[in-house]
Amino acid sequence: MSSIEKRGPWQIWKDVIFALFAREIKTGFNDKFGISWAILNPLLFIFMLSFIRGRMDGGLTHTMPTFVFMAYGMLLIQSFLDGLNKAGSAIKKAKPLFAFRQVQPISAVIASAMFSLMVKTFVIIGIYVAMYFLKMEIRIDEPLDMIWNLVAITVFANSLGLIAAISESFIPELSKVRGLLTRPLFFISGVFFSLQDIPREYWWLFNWNPILNCIELTRQSAYHTYGAEGVSNFYVFACVISSVFFALFYYQGVWKQAVSR
Amino acid sequence: MILLDQLTKYYPSKLGRQYIFREVSFEIPSGHNIALLGANGAGKSTLFRLIAGSEYPNKGKIATDLNISWPVALTTGIHPKMTGRENAKFIGKINGIKDIDGYVEKVRRFSGLGKKFELNVGSYSSGMRPRLAFACSVAIDFDVYLIDEVTSVGDAKFRAKAKDALLEKSEQANVIMVSHEMDEIRLFCDSVILIDKGQLTFFNDLEEGIDEYKAL
Repeated sequence: MSSIEKRGPWQIWKDVIFALFAREIKTGFNDKFGISWAILNPLLFIFMLSFIRGRMDGGLTHTMPTFVFMAYGMLLIQSFLDGLNKAGSAIKKAKPLFAFRQVQPISAVIASAMFSLMVKTFVIIGIYVAMYFLKMEIRIDEPLDMIWNLVAITVFANSLGLIAAISESFIPELSKVRGLLTRPLFFISGVFFSLQDIPREYWWLFNWNPILNCIELTRQSAYHTYGAEGVSNFYVFACVISSVFFALFYYQGVWKQAVSR
Repeated sequence: MILLDQLTKYYPSKLGRQYIFREVSFEIPSGHNIALLGANGAGKSTLFRLIAGSEYPNKGKIATDLNISWPVALTTGIHPKMTGRENAKFIGKINGIKDIDGYVEKVRRFSGLGKKFELNVGSYSSGMRPRLAFACSVAIDFDVYLIDEVTSVGDAKFRAKAKDALLEKSEQANVIMVSHEMDEIRLFCDSVILIDKGQLTFFNDLEEGIDEYKAL
């Protein structure tokens, strides 16, 4: 019979997270499109909206092609919303697996975060490939800045998702509130506009939003002539750190009761 | 030995906290094959899930250094959108099996699902799923197997096979089982833990325990 290997806690974590990750890939998309749909769907959406918007004014938005301007905005807001919603429902989805004591709720959230990050990486590559074939200029002036912003938005989204997921395991109705709260984000996060388009005296209405900060900074990292103003790298960093801290703190306190209901 | 230390467990409900256990301290002895007996809702499954680490007590703790299986109920952790093979692999990985391929092969042979093993579990009949779940658990070397009415499913042939496997297991390992069929309990178990009104009582003698249970 098959014997069990003595594993340390890290080894167990690693095994569980990768098993969940593989399971996510296998079960998430069981139709004929398979996993490619997870990438094609957002890619097509981003591409079409950006392309139409780019055609409409045809020119530049704050020194960057309107297509590129839109594409980064859409990419980041989607990273945020997908990350939040996937992580938010990850615990509920994995509930039957908590019968195995090795599977802890946070492993499900981490696996889902890894999956989101992987999908988004392919989406970015897809956008660049499309731009290449459309003979658009592909420009990334500050690659490190861009990577940081993409990681930041993913971590931020998944931390909030973890908080949502735990809360929803106590009060399931909160998932409806989550849907309601995230809907306006698409319109206030600077996907379709830049903070520079707004008169300075109204900035305070928008620049509290870390997603808007992140989107503007990502555009800035692609074209340093973009001239992002009123946004701060430090603010994004502070938001990410405090959301991670709070999420883990909250999780640590209540996860055992969250699975015991 | 599994030690329950000042165990308190309740479930929240509209009528306030429904207590299953209130500061229960108890020692589940090693070297016995134990039947958990008790009325419906007495907390048999809850105790199972607590021992397995699928759930956690509200207060107190459970201490043991034994390798305990997950509660092998009908279809725990089996995903309908994965094939039998993928499910077995998943369970093997989570449990830290060294030789995954060997394990999957054992599960395949034991479950007796034939070609269906390569198909999605969603297409299985209701008797076939528990067969897979049971095979996944019995192919791992645990010290204690938690068996929740699984042996009462499947066809006659599979039942006989499951019985043989469990009997063989009970030589080196122990079984804690929940069942309402006394014949089955007499076959596998040598002692009883009776759960009544949140209290646990151990009966070294099987028949004595069963009598007590029937008298409830």
